Amino acid sequence: MAQPELGDEILRLDNLNVHFPVKMPFVQRLLQREKAVVHAVDGVSFSIHSGEILGLVGESGCGKTTVGKASVRLLNPTSGRIFFAGQDISKIGGRSLRTLRRKMQIIFQDPHASLNPAMAIGRAIGHPLWIHGSEFGIQNLSSTVFRERVQQRVLSTMREVGLTPEEQLYDKFPGDLSGGQKQRAVIARALILEPDLLVVDEGVSMLDMSIRAKVLELMLDLKRQHGLTYLFITHDLATAKFICDRLAIMYLGRIVEIGPARDIYADPKHPYTKALLQVVPIPDPDKRKEKVLPRGEVPDAVHPPAGCRFHPRCPAVLPSCGWEGRDFVDFLDEHLSDPKRAGDDELVLGPIENWRTNGLVASLEAKPLNIEEAVERVKAVLAEAPIAMAQAIESVSTHKRTVIIHFRPPNELRQTQVGDRIVECLLYQ
Amino acid sequence: MDPMLQVQDLSVHYKTRRGFVRALEELRLDAIQGETVGVVGETGSGKSTLGKAILGILPAGTQVDGKILFRGRDLTQLSNQMYRRLRGEEIALIFQDPMTRLNPLMTIMDHFVEEIRDHESVSADEARRRAREALVSMGIHESRIKNYPHEFSGGMRQRIMIALAIVLKPSLLIADEPTTSLDVIVESQILGILQDLKRAYSMSLLLITHNLGIVAEVCDRVAVLYAGKLVELGPVRDIFRKPLHPYTQGLLSSIIHLETKELHSIEGSPPNMIAPPSGCRFHPRCPYAQSICVERLPPLVEFEPGHFAACHFGDKFL
Ligand SMILES: Nc1ncnc2c1ncn2[C@@H]1O[C@H](COP(=O)(O)OP(=O)(O)OP(=O)(O)O)[C@@H](O)[C@H]1O
Ligand SMILES: Nc1ncnc2c1ncn2[C@@H]1O[C@H](COP(=O)(O)OP(=O)(O)O)[C@@H](O)[C@H]1O
Ligand code: SF4
Ligand code: SF4
Ligand SMILES: [Mg+2]
Ligand SMILES: [Mg+2]
Repeated sequence: MAQPELGDEILRLDNLNVHFPVKMPFVQRLLQREKAVVHAVDGVSFSIHSGEILGLVGESGCGKTTVGKASVRLLNPTSGRIFFAGQDISKIGGRSLRTLRRKMQIIFQDPHASLNPAMAIGRAIGHPLWIHGSEFGIQNLSSTVFRERVQQRVLSTMREVGLTPEEQLYDKFPGDLSGGQKQRAVIARALILEPDLLVVDEGVSMLDMSIRAKVLELMLDLKRQHGLTYLFITHDLATAKFICDRLAIMYLGRIVEIGPARDIYADPKHPYTKALLQVVPIPDPDKRKEKVLPRGEVPDAVHPPAGCRFHPRCPAVLPSCGWEGRDFVDFLDEHLSDPKRAGDDELVLGPIENWRTNGLVASLEAKPLNIEEAVERVKAVLAEAPIAMAQAIESVSTHKRTVIIHFRPPNELRQTQVGDRIVECLLYQ
Repeated sequence: MDPMLQVQDLSVHYKTRRGFVRALEELRLDAIQGETVGVVGETGSGKSTLGKAILGILPAGTQVDGKILFRGRDLTQLSNQMYRRLRGEEIALIFQDPMTRLNPLMTIMDHFVEEIRDHESVSADEARRRAREALVSMGIHESRIKNYPHEFSGGMRQRIMIALAIVLKPSLLIADEPTTSLDVIVESQILGILQDLKRAYSMSLLLITHNLGIVAEVCDRVAVLYAGKLVELGPVRDIFRKPLHPYTQGLLSSIIHLETKELHSIEGSPPNMIAPPSGCRFHPRCPYAQSICVERLPPLVEFEPGHFAACHFGDKFL
């Protein structure tokens, strides 16, 4: 199949990192050896070409909003570079940043929160023109000529986004508008400066189904008619399927799979992508089916799991995926909290707080009874553990009165080209 | 089987400065033991109002007409004290945002002990034992029981809420958008848990949601609300295969799923609930509306066994 002609590169992220400091009490900060940070975005690279819609999909907290905000420089990158239309914008500030803002706009999830309830819709939509007025070569912002020009632009933009009858709605307040109308007003306000890039962060998630389609159609129209380029952020793969050309699947600060949307839907590669596709509800009561879901929830981004970050939840996990000391302790905790399985293991291996972990190692200073007993119990528990975890263990040894579990180091995880796609998973390396 | 819950001609009108908001108008609905009834509709259609009315937690001054029979007893006539007993013991509610129900200053254990001892005279030890059992059944580790709500993730808090709701083994569980604030994968996990529970205790579940995909996956019957009116009610298969009300048809075709080829939406927006449209409330947005629709309120008609719709032309869609 012939590749569609790609437009100019509009946005490129090159190994973007955004880390946030963790807020904690002063004393704790003093005691901490390293500075704790949230690894919100950890080595993200992609590019978006003119007229393209790139979908960024993942669960909450995985870093989508942070990528979106950093892309339009509402956030400073910790490291890595951001290029907009070929220009490195990672470090620019002040005036150059303000000029740039005209060309890149961001829309957030909640249209109610995005509009000032005390400002009439028409004024709100025209507001960016007043702020950027001087860049249009207009000195006297209060001139009637300018005011008239703004109003004309606002009315035509309102027409364009289907916020009609525009003359009537111009003086209405957000409270008088429906959810769909409010989101149209937010889009109109973003479009009024004729940006080249629109970042839409969960821009339709809050809308009722019955109006969601209209807003999506509007976005597609704007792309077709003005060649508008989008970074479309969502957690909903069904919506993304409809409007995205390419997809980037994000998990805990990293992109785990990226490629043409059609290919990803037809044949997802990464186990996380497969899981996300599986949970899209099927609106057909005759097609109910059991699902094999990943365990638990997205872990804390302050201490992301070693190796592949998805490994504690991955249904396809291998022994080489990143098993470490705390995985054993988590499993043991689960084991001990189920009295039927645990028997009197608690007496020998508990309480769970007595376990120490350090990277690949988990250890327990055994109670004075019998260290051999503790080793036996650990081995018995491991026999019930996920097979991949058990196989990742190098040794269960003792040192004086301490039981020590050593895991093998994980294989190095690399981004691998699979057809038109890049996948970060050991299954494809 | 006799219905466990029978809502009969329930009207709920909220008092506001601009006038009465007619959030529910002559609603009829029932649920038998062990079944899951989905309540769907756009925002503002009255779904949460129905849940609150059943639980007797509507704001003071709200005008309530009609009957809510629970095991034959009319809840609208219940004294506050009786209602307090009933809530939790017989009927429990799971909210969209668990933090609105959990007290940030109380440990999880304390929440349970309070809930249990409010309703039953058992020892603190017995209450703790039951709390532990309920939490473990929801996959919360015993070691976390003395933690505070903020120390849990969103999905865990929702599981704690569910554990708290079922600890007294109520026979009716009302879940108002229980998964809307959760991640897609966690949402799926929680729905699985609710299904298992329902089976284990043969509880009835009233699942309030705007997500029709979820309804297709877990419900036995569906009630569709539009602007405070019940417009369609029936077995989930009938509703998805052969929707009789034009609003239901619009809702179903606007679902975006993986096989969607074309986007559809319902023209217009939900009506003003202080002065709703005459006749059929859907007429300003209905592609099939005729003059009779403006003049006359369509009655709820049983077009097929168990499948009701309130449309003058419902038989056309059979
Ligand atoms: N306390 C209240 N006072 C006045 N009006 C209210 C009150 N609570 C709800 N309403 C109104 O009653 C109608 C029904 O509201 P309800 O919360 O039941 O809708 P819903 O179907 O649950 O919507 P959503 O999907 O947004 O949760 C709406 O018009 C709403 O604005
Ligand atoms: N301003 C901030 N300060 C500290 N942590 C933050 C901040 N913004 C986001 N985070 C954290 O960074 C991670 C990614 O967040 P976010 O980009 O909002 O994710 P998403 O949009 O995918 O839900 C989360 O762990 C979140 O708690
Ligand atoms: S590398 Fe692949 S198989 Fe291994 S845990 Fe990650 S996603 Fe699963
Ligand atoms: S009664 Fe008339 S307006 Fe109402 S749904 Fe039926 S056809 Fe449409
Ligand atoms: Mg976000
Ligand atoms: Mg509600």
